[in-house]
This record gives sequence, structure tokens and C-alpha cells, in this order.
Amino acid sequence: MTEFLQLLVIGLLEGGLYAMVAVAMVLVYKSTHVVSLAHGQFMGFGALAFWFVLVQLKMPIVVALVLALCFAAAVGWAVERFAMRPLIGQPLFAAFLTTFATFLMMDGLFQLILKGESASFAAYLPLGSISVAGKPLPTTQLASFGASLLLFAGLAVFFRFTKVGLGMRATAEDHQLAQSTGITVRSIFSYIWMLSTVVATFAGIALANVSDIYFTLPYMGIKGLIVALVGGLDSLPGALLAGLLLGVLENVSAGYLDPIVGGGVKEVAAYVLLLLVLLIRPYGLLGLVRIERI
Amino acid sequence: MLQINNAEVIYSDVILVLKGVSAQVPDGRIVALLGANGAGKTTTLKAISGVLRTELGEVTDGSVELDGKPIHRMDPEEIVRLGIVQVMEGRRLFEHLTVEENLLVGAYMRKDAAGIGQDLAKTYGYFPRLSDLRRRTSGYLSGGERQMLVMGRSLMARPRIMLLDEPSMGLSPLLVKEIFRVVRAINDEENVAILLVEQNARIALSISEHGYVMENGRIVLDGPSERLRENEDIKEFYLGLSDKGRRKSYREVKHYKRRKRWLA
Repeated sequence: MTEFLQLLVIGLLEGGLYAMVAVAMVLVYKSTHVVSLAHGQFMGFGALAFWFVLVQLKMPIVVALVLALCFAAAVGWAVERFAMRPLIGQPLFAAFLTTFATFLMMDGLFQLILKGESASFAAYLPLGSISVAGKPLPTTQLASFGASLLLFAGLAVFFRFTKVGLGMRATAEDHQLAQSTGITVRSIFSYIWMLSTVVATFAGIALANVSDIYFTLPYMGIKGLIVALVGGLDSLPGALLAGLLLGVLENVSAGYLDPIVGGGVKEVAAYVLLLLVLLIRPYGLLGLVRIERI
Repeated sequence: MLQINNAEVIYSDVILVLKGVSAQVPDGRIVALLGANGAGKTTTLKAISGVLRTELGEVTDGSVELDGKPIHRMDPEEIVRLGIVQVMEGRRLFEHLTVEENLLVGAYMRKDAAGIGQDLAKTYGYFPRLSDLRRRTSGYLSGGERQMLVMGRSLMARPRIMLLDEPSMGLSPLLVKEIFRVVRAINDEENVAILLVEQNARIALSISEHGYVMENGRIVLDGPSERLRENEDIKEFYLGLSDKGRRKSYREVKHYKRRKRWLA
């Protein structure tokens, strides 16, 4: 039983990170209907920017965080302005492929900068561990999880109570109608991309905090995509639910099945979950079901 | 004053929908635009509001002018800021937002928080029903409530000119009466000019001061509404009365008997 509890807690902590990655993608999909593959790179570059300011320039952590998030917003703005905006009115598939091209380009750049090494900023943060159910948990993991919960709360407040948040929700529903009520849909798209790269950077820093920056970091974006699909591509609560679910499922299944099949369960669990969810609920666990009065 | 000068509209570079439409909406007046389905009424409204351009349509000739300044090359959101708001047909709402949020989206481009609060209260004054429903998800509203909400939403933009597309469609006669009472009140009290597209010619001509009749992408007839009400062709084809002024018996309907005079 304690073993199960431990796996559950670790799973929840990891799941919080998955959820953050997924949320960044959901934001973009919800408003612009573009499925973005580039978000893994936004995570990687965000973490890299944070690392650069914190470790290379030896700035305080708050400065590093602010600068990294500003950098992220700039990247988001640039991607929207130069890669996505020219494609407005074109088939969505073109936009989808453009995000893939963006991923590839940034991937090359990422490896060029990192040169196959790994970067770590864990040593610059207060370390330690607390004990949960008899097992020590590193504070870095707890901090990352806390950050992800904070982020969700922040987003919920933002969408519920701010004007731009309202404009984003309206735009997500109907572009033409939003435009005819005076919302500048193009600038909403721009804000959305900036917001989502900021969220992705947040996720990237939280992830790198747990597992260092390595060339595999951007590929966590694939996990994020799976979580987004499982939760429903247009549902923020869905992303949170699916993220936590996947984290728990991975760890619990690995904990019990690995000794039997000889390892690797964790790598497969996400795809099994995705397959099952897509078969049973193709629009995701909490995906938007259009309101239809009968 | 809103003016459409000989506007020609082409969709997708090939489909000619408006073939030179001219009309005007003076400040603070109600103007009716009548015509059968497919005549080009909605396209005319879209050409004014700029929504046309999001549907691959374009004003290729002529112009749409507000106070003498051309607006037909502007984006819809800019045109809204000039005070021209289209209430689109089909009562389109942001269905997953609440009633109040829908109204607030209508005031999205405004910066005066105090004024928005006042207008919200005013809108609830015009449509008390919406006040009861303010926290309700708007996707579950009935047809009449939806009509009130789309009109309320455009009122929140504090418009100069409202383009109203078929407000009576599918509503009970009582509700139609109520909606048009509010249309008149909005025109009276807020001094909003209204360009009204309607299938219900009787009510449209009774509320408006001037009327235009469209057919096949052209304006075929126009004049003061009381004169249009007396026009034999209008009576026959839009009000369903024969030349003797009594209700037409469908047993005697013979379309070839009377030819629309404007076709001659």
C-alpha cells in the first residue's frame, strides 16, 4: 500500500508537469485551431534562456525567470507574426506543418547551442527533500508541481476575470463573430501565442529543474501533445486532468508491471492511454461538446 | 449619414452578387431593406460592416461611405469602432459564454468602464428577461431570448448605426411585436440609425421611414415607407394583398396575371 501511495505521489508530481506542457498547446488550439508541434522547442529554449541568465550570467533567480519569460513572449510573438499570420485563411494543415518546420529549425539550433552536453541549474536552487509516506521527495519536484498548480490558478483567473481573457474566449468560439463585435482577432492570436510560449517556458523550466536540460527535453512536447489529445484539445481542465492521469498511470503501471515484463512500461503507457481514449472518446476526456439545442 | 454608392460585390472573384446598389441611411432614421431570399440584402449589410471580406467577398466597384469617408476597405473591427454594428442573421452568440459575458464582449473595444456599466444597466432595462438570465450559459437560450441578446450585445457597442438582419425570423407574433417595440425605442431614445432587413414587409414598412426593395442584386424600387405601402406591386408581392385591397385568395393566385412593373 505504501508503495502504491509513493507511486501515486510521484505520478501526480510528474503529471503536473505534463499538464503544463499540454496547456500551452491547448491555448493555441482553442483560439486558433492550430495543433502546434513547436511547443516542445519553446520549452527547451525557455529553459535554456533561464539557465543562461541564472548560471552563465549569475543573475538572481527572479531576474532569470522574468528575462526567460520575456524571451518566451518575444519568440511567441515572432512565430505568430512571421510563421502563422501569413497562413490565415489557408488550410489548417499548412499551419500544422509550419509548426513542425518551426520545431525542426529550433531543434537544430537547440543542439547547436547545447553541443550534446547537458545543462543544469539544480545546484543554484535550494535543495533538500521532505519525506512523504516514508519516501524522500526532492523539493525541486515539489516546487515544480507547486508552480504548475499556481499557473493553472493564474490562467483560470485570467480567463475568467480579465478583458483580454474574455476576448480570447470569445475568439475561440467564433472568429467572424468576434471580429464583428470589434475584437481584433489578429492581435488576440498574437497574445495567445505569446501566452502559450510563456506557459511552455514555465513548463520547460519546471521540467529542467527536475531533470536537467538535455537534447531530449524538447521531445517532452510529444508527451504534452498526447496529454492535450487525451484531455481534449480545447479543454484546459482536461489538460490538467489528463496530465495528472498520465503521470499516475505511467508510474503505477511501471511500478507494478516492470518487474514482470522487464522494463519499458513507462514509455508505452502514454500511447496505450491515448489509443484507448481516442477509441472511446475521440474528442478527449473533457473536450468541448458543441451546445446543440434539440 | 451612411451612404452606399453603386456598390458592386463579387464573391471569390467570380460570383457577382450585388450589381450596383445605392442606398442611404441618414443619422437617427430607420430604413428598411426588403426583398426575397437571395436578393442580396444580407450581402449589402455585410458589405457595410466589412464582414464580407472575411468571406472572400469584395466591394469591387462603387463605395460605402460614412460621412463621406470610404469605409469599404476597412476591417470589420475598425468599422465597429466607427459606430456601425451588424446584428448578424441567425442570432449568433458566443454559446459557451454567459449572457452577461456576451454583452460585455459587445463592449470589448470600449475603454470607458463607467459607461459600459451604465449601458449594461440600460440594456437590461430594454430587455428585462436578459437580466434574469445573466448568469445562464447563452447556448441554452430560446429563440426570442437569443434575439434579445444579440440586439443587446450590439447595443453595448454604443452604435451610431445598427444593421439589423431579420430580427423577426421564426418568432411568435407577440414576440415580434415586442422586439420591434424595442427597435423603435432604441431608435428614439438612443438616436441609433437602423438599417433593417426584413421578410416581414408589413412590419418593416410600418416602423421605417424609408424603404428599399431589392431583387437580384439590384435596388428596384425605393421611396418613403408610407408610399411603398400604397404601391400596387409591393401590395401584391410583399404584403399579399390584391389590387382591390382585400386579402388575396390563394385559389385565384395566377402569377402571370400581374407583372412586376419594375421589370418592364
